[in-house]
Amino acid sequence: MSTAIRPRKTLSPRQRAQINRYVQYAILVVAILAAVVLTDWGTVGSKFFSPSVMLDQFPAVVTTALKNTIIYTALGFVLGLALGLLLALMKISPVAPYRWLATLYIEFFRGVPALLVFIAFGYAVPYAFGIRIDTYVTVMLALGIVESAYIAETLRAGLQAVPKGQYEAARSLGMSNSRAMITIVIPQAVRIILPPLTNEIIMMTKDSSLIYLLGLTASQYELAKFGREAISSPEAGLTPLVVAGAAYLVITIPLGILARRFESRTAKLSRT
Amino acid sequence: MSTPASSPDRSDATGATAGAGVTPVVSPASAAQGCTITGLHKSYGDVEVLKGIDLTVEPGEVVCLIGPSGSGKSTLLRCINLLEQPNAGTITVAGFDATDPDVQLDDMRAQVGMVFQSFNLFPHMTALDNCSIAQRRVLRRSKEEADRVSLANLENVGLAELADRYPDQLSGGQQQRVAIARALAMQPALMLFDEPTSALDPETVGDVLGVMRKLAEAGMTMVVVTHEMGFARDVADRVVFMDGGVLVEEGPAKDVIGNPQHERTQSFLARVLHPDGTLDG
Repeated sequence: MSTAIRPRKTLSPRQRAQINRYVQYAILVVAILAAVVLTDWGTVGSKFFSPSVMLDQFPAVVTTALKNTIIYTALGFVLGLALGLLLALMKISPVAPYRWLATLYIEFFRGVPALLVFIAFGYAVPYAFGIRIDTYVTVMLALGIVESAYIAETLRAGLQAVPKGQYEAARSLGMSNSRAMITIVIPQAVRIILPPLTNEIIMMTKDSSLIYLLGLTASQYELAKFGREAISSPEAGLTPLVVAGAAYLVITIPLGILARRFESRTAKLSRT
Repeated sequence: MSTPASSPDRSDATGATAGAGVTPVVSPASAAQGCTITGLHKSYGDVEVLKGIDLTVEPGEVVCLIGPSGSGKSTLLRCINLLEQPNAGTITVAGFDATDPDVQLDDMRAQVGMVFQSFNLFPHMTALDNCSIAQRRVLRRSKEEADRVSLANLENVGLAELADRYPDQLSGGQQQRVAIARALAMQPALMLFDEPTSALDPETVGDVLGVMRKLAEAGMTMVVVTHEMGFARDVADRVVFMDGGVLVEEGPAKDVIGNPQHERTQSFLARVLHPDGTLDG
């Protein structure tokens, strides 16, 4: 009894948690201060954030580079979505060889670096067949084929997340297989798929930079290539890359917000 | 014009109710067909779920399938509209030979209404669209006609006021009644019910059973898998007791439930009925 009443020397859990929090804040403040003090602001300013170099990037960074990045991504996405849907349907097909083919394709293109696929379509395929492939077609093929593997898995998961009873109810009402898929299953799957699909577009936007491997004319430059070319002049420093990076964010941050919007909508729908 | 909530539309539908429920859009030949099952076998891998079922359902007859869980009742029901593919045996339903490999499966299913334990309403559609979608896509009815028939059937199940609601805005009992209206809107020759009240809150079970009772009185051919012994006794023309994949006993409801002959039926009923012999329903 006496031990229970005697005032404890140790801290209460609440006090300990409070001290823990102060320590974390302190570490953060020290780290920021150290970074601020140790940084050579003059060099950083002139090398990375030179206002005159920044202004020099305009308007080409928007009218050429940003525009091309969006075009390449859109082309790749259209092909990726079409191929991905085909692969997803193959993957859930009752015909076993379709499933094997789809699995093989998906495992292969998810497993090899996208870089190698770009090289394949940029150099290997044209040499092998003695043909010239238009740059935009090359990007569409390389990006679309790589992304279709990821998109296929996203779509398959979405289709399979729709309860089996939905399909059975549709078939019981006399709908054919394709009618049941189009009218009942796919519209529900789309709601499940939209958030991860938006994330795929963000990944594609960044992957489109791999086109730098190919020989491009200036009008075909996308953001990353545009930035790399611009830093070749000695007085530019690395500022053009900062501008290019910011331009990527102009695309990807709104997409991220869109994905979260879709997510909360899906959550609302599946709550009940 | 297409909004079904406006009151003139609804009174229109109410007026059409009596007609729509009976209108023989179904061809008389198929309407006169019940369901005949002979020698039905179904296995999942090594597990034989149905071990040779023979069952005939006459047109206009209400047959309740009862029995312990795992006895094969639901599988039998799902075989009738080929949601499960039987391994052997023949099924004739609504004038179609369901086990013929060349059967027009979608045409056959359009004539066989199915009500599921888990309702399976389409969550992305309103109650009205749930009822109309198959009429439009399968029976090729115009939107106006489909909506008119849907409203009449929703009225029949007492839910015309909720036609614009989405399934997640309805209670379980309301959802199941919409599901019944959805099946009826196809004007089927036969209705299959797979434990329609098992997933419901106790207080909403009565509404659904009431709708089914009304349907039986209107002369609909019905096969009902159920644990509601009160419903089976009062509504069924015939009760079939299944156990271990075979039909153990069948006969008029009052005989099978009131005076079961087979020992397995007796022990099953002893477990589901109150000790004093009164019914739960």
